Amino acid sequence: MSATKKISLHIDGRLCETVEGRTLLEVARANRIAIPTLCYLEGLTPWGGCRLCIVEIEGSPKIVPACTTPATAGIKVITQSPRLYNLRRATLEFLFSERNHICPMCQYNKGDCGLQHQGYVHGIDSIRYPYLYPSLPVDVSAKYFGLDHNRCILCTRCVRTCDEFEGAQTLNVGKRGIRNQVVVDMNQTFGESTSCTLCGACVSNCPTGALFDKAAAFRGPLASCQPVLTTCTECSVGCGLKVFTKENRIVNVWGDPSSPVNRGHLCVKGRYETWAVPRERILTPLVRKKGSLQKASWDEALSVIRKAAKAAKKTEQALLVLPRLTNETARTVVGLAEKVDRVGMHVATNEAALCAQPEFTADALTKLRDADAIIVIGARPSRDQGLLAARIRTAVRKNGAKLLIFHARKSNLDQFAHVCANVVSLEHRLWERVAATLEGVERPAVIYGPDAMSPIGVTVLERLIRILEANRNGEEPLLISLPAGSNSLALAGAGLEAVEEVGPWLGAKPLKFLHVVASDDPAGGAQVMDETGVPELLPGIDCVVVQAAYTSPLTEAAKVVLPTAIWCEKSGTVTNIEGRQLHLQPALPRHGEARDDAAILESVFA
Amino acid sequence: MKKPTGKTPTRKLARKTAAAAPAPSASARVRVATMWLSGCSGCHMSFLDLDERLVELVKLVDILHSPIVDVKDIPEVDVGIVEGCVNNNEQEHELKKLRSRCKVLIALGDCAITGNIPALRNQFSLRDCLVRAYEQTESTRISCIPNDPIVPVLNPKARPLQEVVKVDLHIPGCPPDADVIWYALTELLAGRTPQWNEKNLRYD
Repeated sequence: MSATKKISLHIDGRLCETVEGRTLLEVARANRIAIPTLCYLEGLTPWGGCRLCIVEIEGSPKIVPACTTPATAGIKVITQSPRLYNLRRATLEFLFSERNHICPMCQYNKGDCGLQHQGYVHGIDSIRYPYLYPSLPVDVSAKYFGLDHNRCILCTRCVRTCDEFEGAQTLNVGKRGIRNQVVVDMNQTFGESTSCTLCGACVSNCPTGALFDKAAAFRGPLASCQPVLTTCTECSVGCGLKVFTKENRIVNVWGDPSSPVNRGHLCVKGRYETWAVPRERILTPLVRKKGSLQKASWDEALSVIRKAAKAAKKTEQALLVLPRLTNETARTVVGLAEKVDRVGMHVATNEAALCAQPEFTADALTKLRDADAIIVIGARPSRDQGLLAARIRTAVRKNGAKLLIFHARKSNLDQFAHVCANVVSLEHRLWERVAATLEGVERPAVIYGPDAMSPIGVTVLERLIRILEANRNGEEPLLISLPAGSNSLALAGAGLEAVEEVGPWLGAKPLKFLHVVASDDPAGGAQVMDETGVPELLPGIDCVVVQAAYTSPLTEAAKVVLPTAIWCEKSGTVTNIEGRQLHLQPALPRHGEARDDAAILESVFA
Repeated sequence: MKKPTGKTPTRKLARKTAAAAPAPSASARVRVATMWLSGCSGCHMSFLDLDERLVELVKLVDILHSPIVDVKDIPEVDVGIVEGCVNNNEQEHELKKLRSRCKVLIALGDCAITGNIPALRNQFSLRDCLVRAYEQTESTRISCIPNDPIVPVLNPKARPLQEVVKVDLHIPGCPPDADVIWYALTELLAGRTPQWNEKNLRYD
């Protein structure tokens, strides 16, 4: 089938031009002709289940669903007629009468529900059929969302989303006939499910209130919220976020469909962990008085810090940041190198080598979709970069790409791998299998994380690249450098020194003043305290200043704690693994007395 | 979306109410009865939310029977307005009586149209509901399911009006907005059938 052959057809009397292979619904939407739908979602395989998009074709007695019927040259399509209207109305009435759609007690009622909207559009004031009132369960065992079968219309958007976007295939349709329902894994609950990644894509793609976010429940309809487009800073992928806010609170966070990075899809970190998890936020500056941290004013906190900084020589001062700062803040930090002896960025083990040669692969995420072999070495995307894991899973499951994983720790991506090996115990036999798997591969992609830079990792990586070069049939292998830190490559590029082991770095010279920028790290910079030697070193430093948004063992060890803005209050840019400059847009005003990272640094080292 | 012309179920209704709504002289005002079945009275409250429009309304209608009118039996009326769904044998009896004595029956609010909250019990057996309410309630000291013959007997399922009698007009909403009630009533009094669309339909 030639995909570029141009054809023309009439829809509602309008001449529409398109290319072969498009469906009637796509052509109609492209020409701004409205056809009601419920089960259709752009990007998913058409299902043809809801039967709302039915259209008439002149000369044909049959009524066809627009979402699954290919456009053919010369046909005349009618999308609105009394017959179609009545049929659509009847379909909707069946949907309403089948389960317990009780609008007044559903939080999706004021403008968020597709079924309700279609009821309004079709002027449905009552249902002609008897209500079935089935007894159906509600599953609220998942951490962040719930599944209420009473409101499900079996459009299977969640099922297809789980399969085609996340690649997890947790959801499916089970049982038969009128007992048909969406099932989780082997008819388990979400809480028992082992395959669910909690990405929440099924929830944002549900047209009714059948899947709902617990944290967003009854906080007001999204239709009444202010949507702000910003960027997720939880990992180096940099997904676009659509943050819904109301009365200075976050109501929900969805993926931004217009983002070229994630196209509306998110992982659990960006979708929920930044806002749906209760954390203790630091709202005012804290100063240690008589052994305990007490609330203080900014002036008081800054005067304590300045006094301590003055008492310390330049060589006795150090500044440590976490790799989550924006590129703008990084410039401020680099500028401080004149005033502070040591400026470092705390990175994961072996990540310094990645930072030494920051490499960005343009359009890596798009190209990854087409890869026919994916090698993951020294990274754990299923834990750290959920979106990348989703892309890998879908490439393996949909395109039949081969997946080879070389790691030191197990991950739930392993079950999809053709070859999965521990980098430490690679045997000769395994290399034969690797070579056999990679034979005939045309578009390989190699994703290498920090652990690929360990001595053994480097040997494995080099050998893999040699194999790929040897049987090269097509393009150069796509190399994707995947740091563990959110913005560590760009920060290193800006001139920040990557520090893997904080203990020796701090202990190299005697210190009197240490400033740590944990920023909005969800753990509050606790990973710095986990480093060997740090808990012992900190009490010996006269003044430890921690700039953080959340409390942690690190803030507990500080003399002064300064509250900083969090992800939804920040502005600036970050650079993702593709080298894209992604913008952060403040969705909320800064909470409490929190200030911007750069502003705090400037006033501390003024 | 344009509503196509054609036979609508309420076409006859318009004719009926037009006949029932002559010029608003004092002697020939439209006779109205309202009834409160299994509902929270929210729809009646919303009706009272017509506020100063009520003054205008009573120039056109006589409310002869209502939860707030102390009349025991239902008189012959032109329009019957019912809130709530049918939950027991007494309500069923009353509703059928009203239907036989009115020309136009209006289902007001979601309970009357879909069953809504009272119909939540339909997912369980009647026995389970009664046991939960009268025996297992945390505050219950002496458990006893009421069985006095004078107490109305609950139907096995709570049912919306149109599953029991013929309903001429539905006004959805939980409760319907006062503006929507006003729109429906004035349209009827003017001899027209209210048209439901995206703008005035609300299920919540």
